[in-house]
Amino acid sequence: MERSAVRKFSGGKLLKVTVRSEGGVIQDVRITGDFFVHPEDAVEEMERALRGARAAAVRSILKGRVEGGGITTIGFKLDDLIGMIEGCVG
Amino acid sequence: MERLRVIDFAVGDPFYNMAMDEAIARCVGSGRSPPTLRLYGWSPSAVSIGYFQEILEEVDLDFCRSKGVEVVRRLTGGGAVLHTAGELTYSLVAEEGDPAVPKDVQGSYARICAPIVAALRRLGVDATFRPINDIEVQGRKVSGSAQTRRFGAVLQHGTLLIDMDFTQLPALRVKEEKLKDKEAADIRGRVTTLKEILRRDLSKERVAALVAEEFGRGLEYELARGSASKEEKGLVPEFAERYRSQEWLFRR
Repeated sequence: MERSAVRKFSGGKLLKVTVRSEGGVIQDVRITGDFFVHPEDAVEEMERALRGARAAAVRSILKGRVEGGGITTIGFKLDDLIGMIEGCVG
Repeated sequence: MERLRVIDFAVGDPFYNMAMDEAIARCVGSGRSPPTLRLYGWSPSAVSIGYFQEILEEVDLDFCRSKGVEVVRRLTGGGAVLHTAGELTYSLVAEEGDPAVPKDVQGSYARICAPIVAALRRLGVDATFRPINDIEVQGRKVSGSAQTRRFGAVLQHGTLLIDMDFTQLPALRVKEEKLKDKEAADIRGRVTTLKEILRRDLSKERVAALVAEEFGRGLEYELARGSASKEEKGLVPEFAERYRSQEWLFRR
């Protein structure tokens, strides 16, 4: 199944996540919008890292990447992204 | 005082424009070019979309095809922008660690936008920086910027609307969510131009010269007129081809 969530944050940036999952396991995640992430490659790395994960693991996977790796998000907070992805896993 | 190479205003096609910004960023980042301010315009008109944006959500491709508006995906994040003949675009590139550009991304937007605000004020326009990355006049956007940090460089490019062909606005698919907290009901009301504010035409070359002067003053550089290096020019065709490719455009 595929589910999407869209949120707009104060400051005006839009974040959309689309998650394809089967039996509670993430097959594919796409993170799109008009936000900024530095370095940019971090978004694709996060998407790759989430493949095969269950909703319960999303938080630790993303926290580990972002807090360990000098990644800056502008326009949304990591917790927002985590919540949206968790909510889209069917 | 360190020198800032200023590449004078010239009009380019959308793929050339993005390719040249990247070529400069790579050469500045590796120490082979000096910090650079490039001023440019767009022909034909184009929509540029942010690095992370989903093209089909942002752009009316049928409209663009029928009106000859090109579409290009930027190296920088941020939102979709319609670039028409009335726009003056700037790109500022400095080596990462250059004292002119704060390490903190949000702070660096404020610092790099400040000279544009100063140039607008010299023109008699009451402009203010609105975080994260906009410059506004009475609540309406007249300039927007986007930044990337790659190749050892900081690249910030952005628009300054001297005039705009509003008939091409349907090229952008504007989502209602995006305007929720803004006063204006639609994008036409959310955007303004120097021509609207001052009720006169300004030459892009003149505004470009003012902007360059203020960049020198604000970021404490000595200005040095220059042009793209042989190496930068050599990189452009390959990069332009990538920006033109469907693979790059439709990657999201």
